[in-house]
Amino acid sequence: MSEIAQGGGGNEKGGKVRAKKASTRIDMTPMVDLGFLLITFFILATTLSKPKSMQVVIPAKPKIEDVLPPPLKASKVLTLFLGKDNIVYGLDRIAADDDKAKTDLKKVSFGPDLRTLIFQSAAQVDTQWGKDEKGNSQFVCVIKPMANSTYRNVVDILDEMPITKTKRYALVDVLTPTEKALLGDKANN
Amino acid sequence: MPAVKVKRNSPAMDMTAMCDVAFLLLTFFILTAQFKSQDVAEIETPHSISAIPVPDKDIMVIAIDKGGKVYFGVDNQVTRIALLDAIATTEGLKFNDSERKAFSLQSNFGIPMRNLNAFLSLPPDKMKEVKQPGIPTDSTAQNELAKWIYQARLVTQNKIRIAIKGDNISKFPVFKNVMSSLQAQDINKFNLITGSEAPPAGWVADK
Repeated sequence: MSEIAQGGGGNEKGGKVRAKKASTRIDMTPMVDLGFLLITFFILATTLSKPKSMQVVIPAKPKIEDVLPPPLKASKVLTLFLGKDNIVYGLDRIAADDDKAKTDLKKVSFGPDLRTLIFQSAAQVDTQWGKDEKGNSQFVCVIKPMANSTYRNVVDILDEMPITKTKRYALVDVLTPTEKALLGDKANN
Repeated sequence: MPAVKVKRNSPAMDMTAMCDVAFLLLTFFILTAQFKSQDVAEIETPHSISAIPVPDKDIMVIAIDKGGKVYFGVDNQVTRIALLDAIATTEGLKFNDSERKAFSLQSNFGIPMRNLNAFLSLPPDKMKEVKQPGIPTDSTAQNELAKWIYQARLVTQNKIRIAIKGDNISKFPVFKNVMSSLQAQDINKFNLITGSEAPPAGWVADK
């Protein structure tokens, strides 16, 4: 498709035979083709959205000589058990061995329900106990994933902590015997 | 007198400008390219509102796939070879040069140590067909993942960062095993690789 140089060369009548001047224009079509081909390749081969990471800090393994910290008051704690099919069982400010625990065990799903539960519980703790010496809320959220929960549930609930501005939370993976009795078969299948 | 001819435009277009744009874009994409790593397993990570980017270098990634298999990978080829040598001396294994070279090209792997020799001596196209069984994490004596983590920290003078990349539907006990392998070595801080999602409306980050 390159343009033909006009009036270049040719046998003019009676004139001298001139050297044929080559056109300075180059046909760029194949070059553009190649350019776009490579662009397509690089677009497809790159990852544009970089993955993010969230930092998790788990409690250090207790050493034998360590003195155990005093147990938390149940009335400051919201315990969340992660169960099967993205269901969260919440024990709001009640110890697992309390008589009312069985009836007060809340069953919520991820999303707004869970968020409301955390907010309500935190607000109740704040009104009952006030702030501590450093001006922080005394509300503690204990997260207990059970064997039938998924990794996604764990990440979702850890993500819920900064969303609800819960500063004190713990990821605990063992259920106490009373909790096992309370949850019954929900913990196993 | 000849008739006035209508001047016909030549169908050839000047491609120079288009070419310029094409190569400008090409340069941009080449320079910003972050190649997708060739991972053994397809992993769909959950999303979080966290905005910390995953570091590019000095990182080990422990991946958990749908079926709960665990894969291990370090980022640097030099580190990979050093890691394999360290494992070879502590576990009494022997690797020849081609196996070490093959290992340095694995971005991650899920092969138990005793099968590593056989796997690494396969030609590259066969390697892709192998169904990797995952690295054993369960019992304390056979916790190979803990050994890999420990040696990777040794060969990098503990400069390596640890990230866990789990699949949405992988079960919690597998993650728990990985966590306890880390916790047993007093690693209490690590990163979970997630996709990003927008925080709920009205949410403000802490100062």
